[in-house]
Amino acid sequence: MTFFLQYVMRRAFGNMTGNLFPNLITIGIIAVSMLIFSTFTLLAFNLTHFLKIWEDKIEVIAYLKRGTPAGEVEPLLTRTRLVEGVEIVRYVSPYDAMSFMETKLGGQKNLLQGIQPQLLPPSFEIQLKKDYRNSSKINDVVRHLREMAQFEEIQYGQEWVETFSAVVHILRLTQWILGGLLLVAIVFITSNTLQLTISSRREEIEVMHWIGAGPGFIRVPFYVEGLIQGLLGGGLAILFLFLLYQGLFLHIPLSVQAWLAKGPVLFLPLETIVWILLGGMVLGFFGSFVATMRVLRYK
Amino acid sequence: MTEPIIEMYHVSKTYPSEISVLSDITLEISSGEFTFIAGPSGCGKSTLLRILCGAEKPTSGEVVVEGMQITQPGFKKIRQLRRRMGIVSQDFKLLRDRTVNENVAFALEVTGHTRREAKGKASDMLRRIGLEEREEDPILVLSAGEQQRVAIARALVNSPSLILADEPTGNLDAKMTLEIMGIFSDLNRQGTTVLFATQFTGLIKRFPFRVIQILNGQILNGKKGAVNEIQEAKTGE
Repeated sequence: MTFFLQYVMRRAFGNMTGNLFPNLITIGIIAVSMLIFSTFTLLAFNLTHFLKIWEDKIEVIAYLKRGTPAGEVEPLLTRTRLVEGVEIVRYVSPYDAMSFMETKLGGQKNLLQGIQPQLLPPSFEIQLKKDYRNSSKINDVVRHLREMAQFEEIQYGQEWVETFSAVVHILRLTQWILGGLLLVAIVFITSNTLQLTISSRREEIEVMHWIGAGPGFIRVPFYVEGLIQGLLGGGLAILFLFLLYQGLFLHIPLSVQAWLAKGPVLFLPLETIVWILLGGMVLGFFGSFVATMRVLRYK
Repeated sequence: MTEPIIEMYHVSKTYPSEISVLSDITLEISSGEFTFIAGPSGCGKSTLLRILCGAEKPTSGEVVVEGMQITQPGFKKIRQLRRRMGIVSQDFKLLRDRTVNENVAFALEVTGHTRREAKGKASDMLRRIGLEEREEDPILVLSAGEQQRVAIARALVNSPSLILADEPTGNLDAKMTLEIMGIFSDLNRQGTTVLFATQFTGLIKRFPFRVIQILNGQILNGKKGAVNEIQEAKTGE
């Protein structure tokens, strides 16, 4: 077995160094294709991450109708707490709202001079259970809240969440469509380069057939060559993506960096990197498999 | 009576261009026999050997080698069969980017021998055919005769039970031809079956082996083939 592995590795590397230029071209094309796919993966990963952070912060504000008797507030609080998906409900009186605004305005709080707290509507700040902090489930909660006549208006940043969800969804879709196209391209390119390699080794393969070499001896070095091409292509893609990530992140304006600091731009997790490398290897292997199926027939 | 190692029944080969190369060949070769396949260039000797090693399929007829019907549709054991055969091709089929030793050792490597083992056995075989001095030379610097001897060494290094040799002495001088014939004869005395295709009647006359004479794709001297009986007039030599 060790001997066979030694033989296969020797032949695979021999084939690669013997056909260096086509191999470099293949590795380069795999790297570019995988880089495009990985870039979309990174974008989708970060946007999903941001969406998750924002979804975690989502809360519903239900404004009470002006003039709602104080006696109705407590029963309404109890009813609201019983709505499915609601975790915590806090009553914000007009006075609480005014002091919140003053805190927010800081040095410019004199802008609020002359405004009576009674002008501000009382509200409920409703925090949702973790599972309900997404655009589809939040709508169910809001529908239940709207059934309560005491609420005048309900705000929850619906449009923002929905638009962002749609962007992430489109990005994911593009990632997989592009991934599918690139997959076909990688298999095609790897298969064609390996056909060149196989052609350049035709004499040797013919001799191998002539002396009764097993298919393992003939085909496996080409499979390994495809695996190595895929691994190197995938590795280069990850390396370029990391450099791109570093370069872009370092050149982001300070103001944007401060905003991003709330939710840092992440690089792909190790698990995803391993999947990308494995994906490259599988594609390389599949390309070599197609090539050997097309060219290597026992004579 | 010895078991036949090769049986051919009504074998014909016609190429798509309607050129008939072999026509209704029926023969039997017993195990341990040394047989010359004689005939002029283009008479069908090489095609016959190529059919026997599974490199070509006959248009019709049945071929049995070592008890296996290799013409059976979907026959999958050609590889195992070739491992027990030593094949010397007219065009040598050597790897031009390798040394003499590497070429011979390659036949052992692909059948599961370690590199060191293969190199050692290849050296022994090269010594036997007088190429020990050129062991590490690249194939390309060798003369045609030397290349032919490397091809013979590669065919013999696996100690095959059946040797199919297509004009193996075609590029050798008289002295070397006799030496190589000596090696083939020794192997045959040890029980190896040898099928030796040649167009040189002088060579055939020197050795008392069975001759199957082919002309225009047909056997001239009957199903069995006479022992050392050459019809020179018909082969034109």
